[in-house]
Amino acid sequence: MLAVDFSGLAEKIFPHHVVEKGWFVLNDSVISGFIVVAVLLIVALILRLTIIRHWKTTPTGGQMFLEWLVCFFDKSADEMTEEYSGLMGPYTLGAAAYICCGVLIEMFGLRPAIADLGACMALALCTFLFIHTLGFTKNKARRLLHYVNPINIVTDLAVPVSMTFRLFGSILSGMVIMDMIYILVEGIWYLGLPLILPAVLTPLFTLFHAFIQSYVFASLTLTFVQEAIEVPPRRQKKNKKTLQTAIAEKAA
Amino acid sequence: MELLITMVANLLATDGALLGAGIAALTGLGAGIGMGIATGKAVEATARQPEAVGKIRTMLLLGLAFAETTAIYGLLVSILLIFVA
Repeated sequence: MLAVDFSGLAEKIFPHHVVEKGWFVLNDSVISGFIVVAVLLIVALILRLTIIRHWKTTPTGGQMFLEWLVCFFDKSADEMTEEYSGLMGPYTLGAAAYICCGVLIEMFGLRPAIADLGACMALALCTFLFIHTLGFTKNKARRLLHYVNPINIVTDLAVPVSMTFRLFGSILSGMVIMDMIYILVEGIWYLGLPLILPAVLTPLFTLFHAFIQSYVFASLTLTFVQEAIEVPPRRQKKNKKTLQTAIAEKAA
Repeated sequence: MELLITMVANLLATDGALLGAGIAALTGLGAGIGMGIATGKAVEATARQPEAVGKIRTMLLLGLAFAETTAIYGLLVSILLIFVA
């Protein structure tokens, strides 16, 4: 009754090479990544030419959504990375949009753009670059004191690795589970389940993951940058002493 | 004795990877306990101070993402053991 053959699953886990000419290799994840970037650029252009050109003081549907989306990222960037929010707000919005659309492209039958180690590593390395350039521009040489404790070097190097594998693992697991369900419902077609089951489970494993992972990536980036641009505390003992003597003088 | 050793070696060569995949899935235990504790504490904090719900939600999601990472590592290891090794 349940003669399900899972041997086809092994081929779907890692991306296939579509174009292979010497050193020039394209896999199917990269191609869906190109499609996602093209779609995002076209949508941005359309929004620029329609909604933003007719900007009103009393916003309607589309303008409300755009304002909410941009304000959400700008506000959280403002709260966490004070003077660099002009840089971090657009970066987190861009990264979140790419991750979200790169996962949602799975609904059109293509391989998700993020289910490739290269795409995740590119995003994680961008974050790594932002953390350290902003950290060094804010604190200059004082930041080197942070590396007196050699454990901190390992901690900093682990950040891009853990971000890469978090993103890759969660998107890959969602994709593998959906592929497993597709194979499973082929074996039980006679109950009419192939129509219902994937439609019920897709929001759970694809839609939900897309929003959660993009939000987590954006907020983790902001948290690490906030940690890096924190000004190390100065010697507080001296201040306390002067304060205490000042109070004592006042009392006297 | 030699027969036993060859049997064990054969078992490890063929089914060892699958056994390892099963053991790697145990990472879900720790992640589940950790995420449960975090969510419970967040509910407690919200009940105590309902006006701080926005901040608590942000911190909870961040903590859940960190706790979930271990489970994802386990899943990746077991997928690699089943399909690649």
